[in-house]
Amino acid sequence: MASHDVRDVLNLPSEGAGPRPTKKQKTSAARPNLKGLAREVQSLGGDNPIAIVPEISTFKKRRFGSRKPAARWEMSAFCNSARGDQSLQLRHWKKETEDQSRATSQPQSDGQTPGENGMEVAKKTDAVEDSSFAKFNVEVDVPQYSEDQYNSNLLSDDWAKHETDYLFGLARDFDLRWPLIWDRYDYTPQSPGNVKEEKDVDGTDPNTAMIPAPKPRTLEDLKKRYYEVAAKMMAVQKPVQYMTQAEFSLHETMANFNPVSEMQRKKFAQDALSRSTDEAREEEQLLIEVRRIVARQQKLNQERQDLYRRLDFPLTEQDITSFKSSAGLSTLLQNLATADRSKKRKPILDINVANTPGSAQPSAQPNSTPVSEGRRESIAASIGGHRDSIGGGERPERPTKKGAQQQQERKKLTEQEEQIYGVSHHDRLPSGPTFRYERINKILTTKSNAQHQRITNTLAELDIPGRLNMPTRNVVEGMEKLLNSISVLLEIRKLNDKLDGEIRLEQAKKAERKKTGTTIGASGSEGSSGPASANTNEATNRTNGENTGLTSANKESNDDDRPTSKPTTNGAVNGEKYELTNGHDAKSSEQANAENREDKSMRPASSGGYKRSASVLSGVSEKSIKRLKK
Amino acid sequence: MMAAQQPLPNSQAPLDVYGGDEVSALVLDAGYCHTRAGFAGEDVPKSVLPSFYGSIKTSNSDSTTTTYRDIFGDECLYPRGDFEVKNYMSRSESVVEDWDAATKMWEHMLIKRLQPDREMPPIIKNGPSEPAADGEDVAMEDVENHEKPLAENPLLMTEAPWNTGKAREKAIEIAMENWGCPAFWMSRTPVCAAFAAGKASALVIDVGGANTSVTAIHDGMILKRSIQKSPVGGLWLSQQIRTMWDNNEPKVNVVPYFMIENKTPVDAGAPAQARLRKFAFDITPSYRAYEEERLLTEFKESVVEVWRGPGRYLNPGNEELVKSQPGRVFEMPDGWNQMWREQRYRVSEGMWDENAALPNPDGSGKAQTIPEMIKACLSAVDVDLRPNLLGNVVVTGGTSLLNGFNDRLNNELMAMHPGMKIKLHAAGLTTERRFGSWIGGSILASLGTFHQMWISRKEYEENGVGIVEKRCK
Repeated sequence: MASHDVRDVLNLPSEGAGPRPTKKQKTSAARPNLKGLAREVQSLGGDNPIAIVPEISTFKKRRFGSRKPAARWEMSAFCNSARGDQSLQLRHWKKETEDQSRATSQPQSDGQTPGENGMEVAKKTDAVEDSSFAKFNVEVDVPQYSEDQYNSNLLSDDWAKHETDYLFGLARDFDLRWPLIWDRYDYTPQSPGNVKEEKDVDGTDPNTAMIPAPKPRTLEDLKKRYYEVAAKMMAVQKPVQYMTQAEFSLHETMANFNPVSEMQRKKFAQDALSRSTDEAREEEQLLIEVRRIVARQQKLNQERQDLYRRLDFPLTEQDITSFKSSAGLSTLLQNLATADRSKKRKPILDINVANTPGSAQPSAQPNSTPVSEGRRESIAASIGGHRDSIGGGERPERPTKKGAQQQQERKKLTEQEEQIYGVSHHDRLPSGPTFRYERINKILTTKSNAQHQRITNTLAELDIPGRLNMPTRNVVEGMEKLLNSISVLLEIRKLNDKLDGEIRLEQAKKAERKKTGTTIGASGSEGSSGPASANTNEATNRTNGENTGLTSANKESNDDDRPTSKPTTNGAVNGEKYELTNGHDAKSSEQANAENREDKSMRPASSGGYKRSASVLSGVSEKSIKRLKK
Repeated sequence: MMAAQQPLPNSQAPLDVYGGDEVSALVLDAGYCHTRAGFAGEDVPKSVLPSFYGSIKTSNSDSTTTTYRDIFGDECLYPRGDFEVKNYMSRSESVVEDWDAATKMWEHMLIKRLQPDREMPPIIKNGPSEPAADGEDVAMEDVENHEKPLAENPLLMTEAPWNTGKAREKAIEIAMENWGCPAFWMSRTPVCAAFAAGKASALVIDVGGANTSVTAIHDGMILKRSIQKSPVGGLWLSQQIRTMWDNNEPKVNVVPYFMIENKTPVDAGAPAQARLRKFAFDITPSYRAYEEERLLTEFKESVVEVWRGPGRYLNPGNEELVKSQPGRVFEMPDGWNQMWREQRYRVSEGMWDENAALPNPDGSGKAQTIPEMIKACLSAVDVDLRPNLLGNVVVTGGTSLLNGFNDRLNNELMAMHPGMKIKLHAAGLTTERRFGSWIGGSILASLGTFHQMWISRKEYEENGVGIVEKRCK
């Protein structure tokens, strides 16, 4: 219970400002009184003293002081006009109204006109107040009919007048709640002779022997009869042509009530209720399936419509000669592309743009993922190169335009001084303070999940924690560099793997071809294979050297990490490669392949060196493939 | 509450939120095990007494005639000589059987317990040799020339849905003639239970002491064709426990608390070491049965559990699963104790699975199970109402407080009606579950819109007792 509630219950003023400070004073005053307690026990209570004796006296005084005079309540009788009989007067507690209390307590100090006030009081006293709930009593309008009306309009073979009366009585009693009417429908038929004196029937009446058995009525039978009578009475009271729209529609609904369809509907409902679990589940699945189909249909329709719209080109009255030249066409294409891009569609020109030199793929694969990857690779490579060339304390994204400003500052501080004082220059600072390691995080988070995983794996292999312990500027920059190198490396390795596969494929093809060749002419095969293998081997070595030069940036960073692993792994992989290219048939190449894979998995620690070799191999494979194609 | 309400002037009182308008009505809810009475508008009955009452045989000075003096209230039910424990309700029907005792009991509760002391004429005792200062509750006799005791309080009574017209007429007669109530109303217990749950349409599953009933309520009215009644209730469960105890190895000796003078703790399964009390008089079997029932109630409350499902308890594997789980220890009043594991599920399974019911010695083991009752109830209701009823299932009655009852009920309903939205409404408070129908009556009688429903004294005088049939439908 919150203190607010306690206050509420005790009727204290709700503002906490009043009693608080005084209470504090009291506590300090009360302190010395608690003599029987040990000091330690007292101190347990902190600022608030331990309540042993509640200080009731002050509490009570305040409570009564702040209270308003109690409201006056009176036990007053009232009646309810919704009742059938007005005799019942119940009594309830009611707050005395203003004028009443004023009239009783201080009648002399009444400033208003005394006559009015007196009148009101008089009205209060002599007229018993009506319950405020009487207005909630509503009754359903059930049609009435007279004897003549019944005989002229409502006669039915199935329904006697007596039973119709009974039905309408029930409808009135239960306010047209049909389930209840049906539930309580317990009609005892009247012998046709004495419809009038229905109350006087006793068991000895000889006529009762002829009483027909009561017909079992379904809910639909009851409704049908009721609606039939109600519709007819409606038409009798007001001819159909004079009815208002609402009345007419009501009449139509009642006149056209179809018990058969109602029954069928209920039967369906019953079947639906008595389904087994499997049926229910099956139906649910079917429903989901239907929804899916409908959704697909809609999507298809929409796409078709899109297509139509696109095909349905507007007839142009403009001169189209400007588009007949290649320059005009290219501008048109550009316009269309921008329009397309604004529609957030897959760019048409993507394939053209993505044709970067880094992704010189021999196989033009239809899906676009390798293309975009190639793009990213090239971008990453360019960033890496950029950074390496700048070096030192700048951010990698720093454009070269800032050089002038930098030079100005250099006049003030030497580089050494800058380092000492920790001065750094930024072209653009993010708002507010940031942590350095967030730069690292940003690099990682922008990668896809799989890539992120691979990078962290590589870091683990290098025994470098993913989260820097001491992110000084130098460390962060080093880390940044490392991460970028790793990502470049990973890209290259991926490419390499792909090319490896293709090489293997080509080799397999070649071996196949060779095999067929050997079956035809066995003598020529050995001689031809010798030079070819020598060729490839040579090529490998050569390209190896070239590539080391190209990826010097990579090497630099990697050499820092693990310089020793380079020669051995490189050699080993090269050896494998050699073996592979020399493979005589598909089977042996497959074996080597397996070995290769095993090797990879068995040597996780040498990944730094291996990566480099992988990049090397990618170059090799490109060339060897070209050669093979020749 | 009062502090929050007081500042509101009459004109701003939120009538639409709280439609109450209390006219100090009384609510009386009689059941086989307990009778509840209190003021309308309160959330719990002021007076809850067992429907069992004591009857003391007093021999007159001339020892030819013996008269019985009835005493009411659980505080009077202690061991004494020539003392029979009776019940004014019928066990099989949960309706009033002994109207004289019922009148006395109700007067004891409504007038003696709930009305202020009045100037009373000297109470006429049953026998002339009656000791005047007995200190016990003595049933008040009707005093014809005295002012009617309930002249200011309308009375709302609840009744079982299968109550007969005669019994209803008798009830209004007592209220109007004997007590002089200004207004009277009779309401069915399931309707009240539905109101207590805040629902006008509901499927009420009332698992009480003597009976279990399943009833469909539509718009605050009972659907008569849907009424299902079965003895599967608290007392039936007690009988199952007795059968289980009889078949136990060793046989459980039921010794109620009042017979134990002292006891020493024993290990589980070891024979009891207790000294029984000696009484100078004979303990009547009816009193002993009453006390044994109290012991059984304790056992039901602390040990018995309902197999929660899915499936039935007797399905293969379930019993083994229960055996591997920790059981519950119950110590008898004489100190004998045992761990109950699978048996505690078994005794309640008969409520759900006819084949699981233990055969009672009198052959009354089998009874209509709760799922069967629900099925029968729903099939007697219009199809259009069934989904709504299943979405508003109200569980009430003291025996529904058995551990796991609601889970099992939910599972059974789901199995019976797959793909339907089934929502159980079972009050969390035990008092709300035990006094569900009283609380509903309390709500009903304190509503402002209910004032137009009361059968007034004048209407009664004009139409006679038959008006209750005409009005309370």
